[in-house]
Amino acid sequence: MGLTADERWGLVDAIAQRTVAFGISRQTTGDVLGELTVKPLTGIPTALAVLYAFWSIFGSFAGVLVTDGFMIKLFDGYWLPWMQAAWPDPGSVHYFLFVGDPAAETCFEAFGMLTSGLFVSFGVVLPAIFVFYLMMTLLEDSGYLPRLAVLMDTLLHKIGLHGYAIVPAILGLGCNVPAVTATRTLETKKQRFIMMTLLALFIPCGAQLGIMLQVVPDTVGWVLLYLLIGFVVFGYVLSRVIPGSNPEILIDVPPYRWPQRANVAKKLWNKTRGFLTNAVPFVMLGILIVNILYLTGFIGWLADLAAPLFVTWFGVPKETVGPLLAAFLRKDLAVAQLSTIPMTSYQMITAVVLISIYFPCVATFAMMVREGPRQLLAAIGVLAAVVLIYGGLIHAVGILLGVA
Amino acid sequence: MEAPCRGAELVTAAVGLAAVACGAANILVWAGLYDGIEIGIMAIGGPDFFRWVWGSLVVVFGGVMMLAGARQMHAVPGYGKVLLGVAMIGIIGGTDIFALICENIPAGEGAQFFNSATGFIGAFAPPYPPAVVLLPFALVIGCALYAGRADDGC
Repeated sequence: MGLTADERWGLVDAIAQRTVAFGISRQTTGDVLGELTVKPLTGIPTALAVLYAFWSIFGSFAGVLVTDGFMIKLFDGYWLPWMQAAWPDPGSVHYFLFVGDPAAETCFEAFGMLTSGLFVSFGVVLPAIFVFYLMMTLLEDSGYLPRLAVLMDTLLHKIGLHGYAIVPAILGLGCNVPAVTATRTLETKKQRFIMMTLLALFIPCGAQLGIMLQVVPDTVGWVLLYLLIGFVVFGYVLSRVIPGSNPEILIDVPPYRWPQRANVAKKLWNKTRGFLTNAVPFVMLGILIVNILYLTGFIGWLADLAAPLFVTWFGVPKETVGPLLAAFLRKDLAVAQLSTIPMTSYQMITAVVLISIYFPCVATFAMMVREGPRQLLAAIGVLAAVVLIYGGLIHAVGILLGVA
Repeated sequence: MEAPCRGAELVTAAVGLAAVACGAANILVWAGLYDGIEIGIMAIGGPDFFRWVWGSLVVVFGGVMMLAGARQMHAVPGYGKVLLGVAMIGIIGGTDIFALICENIPAGEGAQFFNSATGFIGAFAPPYPPAVVLLPFALVIGCALYAGRADDGC
């Protein structure tokens, strides 16, 4: 037997009397700051300040303190010389695979599984990933990220997305794998495709950023500028070319809260553990495969084959073919490998941008496969077109500026 | 809410004005219009785009917010703006100090890992960047404002 309308309303009144508190509402400091940080006039300068803090702390902790301050000394001063002395038979294949170049003075140059592999994983990328996810979790738990989404909504609508696309975009700066998963929060297939493609192309992951800060610190700004321009321009083009809608959404903005220490620690541990279990084996495997390809002469053959494209069209040395192959396994590894190839500053910028845009790493690729074969094929088609067009354009800009 | 206090408003406006001036000077020095400026314990100017242009821009915005909120700092909108301005100057000053700490915990070139205590403390000798000099003033304003509002039950 159902309730009558009067009985239902009576029930509503009874529940409301027991659960709703009545009183005078007053604005708290959090409310005042919450309002100011979503208004463009005050919110955009705040966003600039928050992002400045994000990158300043990232660079100071991961780059200056941990990697430059301790890890380089530990790996180059103790670990590498010990491995070079202790591993038997410096002329052998196993020495080349595990220790690398016997004459190398730094772990970047050695390129062995147990020298460069461990250094890149634990000395450079782990501190970068740790501090990135710490900052990200603090922003997320404090309630700032939804406000950033509101602020970015107008701009992101110009490239066929809405404000919440900022979440996968920022997540992608940590790792593209969770970022591809986060694209599912977007409303339409068109938005998901655009975001996934832009992530794979123009958002460098935290590992890659960490290694870029380490090996090419002077050119990181230019690389990021080229990637940002590419993100906006190709996003605009894709939003015009791809059919589908870009609906408005309502964003629920929570109040500001102090992040809970236990929650932050738990999230940080989960994400860092994910890196240790998923990414570290890929770094090791990447070095092993690239070393085997070098030994068999495959990379030399491929470099000769692709030389016209690389040298003439992209304006980079043909030796960058090897790092581009490694980039499919780990992009951070590929950037580390680039640092050992002699080239001009502009060629280095072009090569690092090419590594970022030419193909997603294998872990991201696996996530894209799960999004469906049609989406994947279309994304690969767009990737191929963009890398040819944008790589050539960067070379053309360099020629016009007289630096390429 | 407390009754408006002219002295507090003037101090806030003065710190805001100093932040705008120092931030703008930083950008002009970076752009090459002036050589580096040193006033007492404060040094303005440096080659790093990230720290000296982006950071200085944030200091300028922080100063503008403090100026905008100073006249009505005891009412909700003005209070919010001043607090946000203080936070922005605090972010730049805080990250400058954090960078200094990170740079000086490890020893420089050589076999040692950790810097000596005297070496570490010596790194904090003046001159300081403008945001670090402005930081104590901004923090005092921010804390006083926050405490006043908390007393008011907000």
